[in-house]
Amino acid sequence: MLGYLLKRLIQMIVVLWAVSVLVFVMMSFTGDPTYMMVPLDATEEQIEQARRLLGLHDSHLVQYWRFLSSLAQGDFGRSFVFRQPAMQLILERLPATLEIVSLAMAFALVLAIPLGVYAGANPQRAGSRAVMAGSLVGISLPGFWLGMVLIFVFAVKLQFFPSSGRGPTQEWLGLRVSFLSWEGLRHLILPALTLSVGTLAILMRIIRAEMMEVMKQDFIKFARAKGTDRRGVLFKHGLKNALIPLITVFGLMLGDLIAFATLTETIFAWPGIGKLLVDSIYRGDRPVIVVYLMFVAFMFVVVNFIVDMLYALVDPRIKIK
Amino acid sequence: MIKNGLASFSRRGALALALLGGAALSGIAHAQEKSLTVALTADAVILDPHAANELTGNIMFYHFYDALVARTPELGFEPGLAESWQVVDDTTWIFKLRKGVKFHNGDELKASDVVFTFERLKKALMSNLVANIASSRAIDDYTVEIKTPKPYAVLHMALAEVLIVSEKYTKATGDEQMGLKPMGTGPYKLAEWVKEDRIVMAAHADYWRGKPKIDKVTFKPITNPATRTAALLTGGVDVIQDLSVRDVAGVKANAGFEVITRPSLLNMVIAIDTREKSPTIDLPTNPMRDRRVREALVRAINVEAIRTVVMNGFATPSEQYVPSSHLGYVPGLDFRKTYSFDLEKARALMKEAGFEKGFAMTLDTTNNRYVNDGAIAQALAGMFARINVKLNLNLMPRSNFFGYIRAPSDKSSFIMSGWDTPSGDAGNMYSTLLYSRGKKPGFGQANRGAFSNEEFDGWIDKADATADIKQRHAFLQEATKVATREIPMIPLHYEQDIYAAKKGIKVVPRMDKFIWAYEMDVN
Repeated sequence: MLGYLLKRLIQMIVVLWAVSVLVFVMMSFTGDPTYMMVPLDATEEQIEQARRLLGLHDSHLVQYWRFLSSLAQGDFGRSFVFRQPAMQLILERLPATLEIVSLAMAFALVLAIPLGVYAGANPQRAGSRAVMAGSLVGISLPGFWLGMVLIFVFAVKLQFFPSSGRGPTQEWLGLRVSFLSWEGLRHLILPALTLSVGTLAILMRIIRAEMMEVMKQDFIKFARAKGTDRRGVLFKHGLKNALIPLITVFGLMLGDLIAFATLTETIFAWPGIGKLLVDSIYRGDRPVIVVYLMFVAFMFVVVNFIVDMLYALVDPRIKIK
Repeated sequence: MIKNGLASFSRRGALALALLGGAALSGIAHAQEKSLTVALTADAVILDPHAANELTGNIMFYHFYDALVARTPELGFEPGLAESWQVVDDTTWIFKLRKGVKFHNGDELKASDVVFTFERLKKALMSNLVANIASSRAIDDYTVEIKTPKPYAVLHMALAEVLIVSEKYTKATGDEQMGLKPMGTGPYKLAEWVKEDRIVMAAHADYWRGKPKIDKVTFKPITNPATRTAALLTGGVDVIQDLSVRDVAGVKANAGFEVITRPSLLNMVIAIDTREKSPTIDLPTNPMRDRRVREALVRAINVEAIRTVVMNGFATPSEQYVPSSHLGYVPGLDFRKTYSFDLEKARALMKEAGFEKGFAMTLDTTNNRYVNDGAIAQALAGMFARINVKLNLNLMPRSNFFGYIRAPSDKSSFIMSGWDTPSGDAGNMYSTLLYSRGKKPGFGQANRGAFSNEEFDGWIDKADATADIKQRHAFLQEATKVATREIPMIPLHYEQDIYAAKKGIKVVPRMDKFIWAYEMDVN
């Protein structure tokens, strides 16, 4: 177990380092961000002064070295644009993103499990076919289109939900959250729904495929033979054996939604981290991009670690080494 | 829905009050409190007026801070923190400060704060704002003397962009925190800033012009245009900036809302390369050195068609390089009349200059910076094809563009970009964009076409040698005439600003785009 942890840790450091190199190399090809920050009529001296203020006067190699050495002291660098620590910019926006992603994942799971199990256990029924057709629609719908339609129908026409933004927030375990008040929840529902549709469709299809596979196995026949009721057969014996791929994909989807909920956040003016990434790319704000992508890589490593742990939990035959 | 919206406003109101300590405002009954929510296209990035120059930030700065000279919505200039000023000699100005002006923390504004502001700016990102201040000193608590490096008749207009900070507060707060905790003499103080969600401001009761009519103003960043419209229609916000052109008809049709438009200051201009050899033209000499070719290019552009087809009517064709409010504008002179759209004439001019068969060149412009920039470029390519000029398009995101085209612009022949001069003075634009390159430091630094004309430079030199604003105006007008004759740059159109608001809200669209709640009211 300890060896496994150590291996994972080394892997993580290598991944983070590679991400930082990649971003630095890529950013050296895009323009000099100084030009976007100084006025168009700035003189050479003023540009030079701005460059020095931003730490952009050195070569890329020196800049990278400076980044690494301050990283060793726990300093992730500061944004050119905000002039604030880059990590802080991400952390202060993170709760909002975690909130819609959690709700979206909850929506997806709650619907995907019963629908997927049903479709997998009864593949020939008309209901299953309808579910499968629906999932295809869910996968193909672009998020921004769905978001706009939801806003138009439920906010502008029916006025059930607010059109955009985050509702009032409360302090909860040191985080600013909005799900504790009704008004806050109302703001959460449309963006979370938009975000969940794609995930819901994919999870459902995976559960169905796995269930169809599992239902052919001998142990299902034995379970039936010993008189287990249908529900027990499906959920206790069937679903449990279909869980491994589900957990894997769930982990990946979770990471994906947290890191790149950008479109949904933009459409609903949701103050999360996805928008920060896009804005930073737009502004050439390298320190934020580097830290953001390193943060994302870190998150994926952690999620995958948890997924590995869960494997062992669901399937005792799997040992963590 | 609207009811719910109101409920959430007053809850936020309570929060803002709590944050303020409530001493000044707790007496005001909630029922009387006027509040306003405005949706902008983006969030501010930093609230330090000396560290950034982007629209949302500027809108915020003018709520928290004041300048010595104030700019009216129509780009007039009037006393701000300075109640009067006088020009002592060619390079010396005296500004008399208003007495009793209070910062948000209760301190009184002193001349030392003004001097400190200038010193701080010199070392800041926005140092260009004080490029025309050689030195400054406080003569007494309410008198500041400013020396300019050379006669500069429009110093007071330039000072409208210099926002005054408190020396004591700024030193105690430090540069990093100044970006988060603005504190000035302006009509509003910051109550709450939740990044990417809202900036809430509360009225500054001791504001020197008088207490603001609206007690609480909330700015919400809503980037997606359709979402912004939806937020207005559902009552989530009261006013929106940049109503999407395709939503204009829909919002106008709704009796509860109104659409407000006005031409902006942003002039789309095309810089023409006038060097001996042009980077993207495969000919031994650059055809555009010939004035006739430049005229032919202008005459081939149908600005009216761009306005109606590409811009859906939301553009104002440019008469000159600067709008009529500016020093240097020549009444009656109109590019569109002098060089009216005329393909026959354009072809004749090309033939006369020996380029009947035309030539090919590349247009460099952005695809995400100006309204319909990519579409305008395509329209231009189509129009030039009719006089046998093949225009290849090089469209870039803005993160690459401004570095790419930067003078000496040695990769470009033809560059389209926007230019605005909120200083109200053509001299600023002319000396940057059209003055000969490398002749004097600080001149021609964005002269992308390397235009060089003795006569033009001469008028600018004269304008810069006088401290008399009338003379400056006259000299700049001469420069405008020379530029219109020589065509170093083609002005196309001014973009139009479009706002939408609930009926009953008084919106004052400003030429400089800086929405200012102090001028607005709610019924």
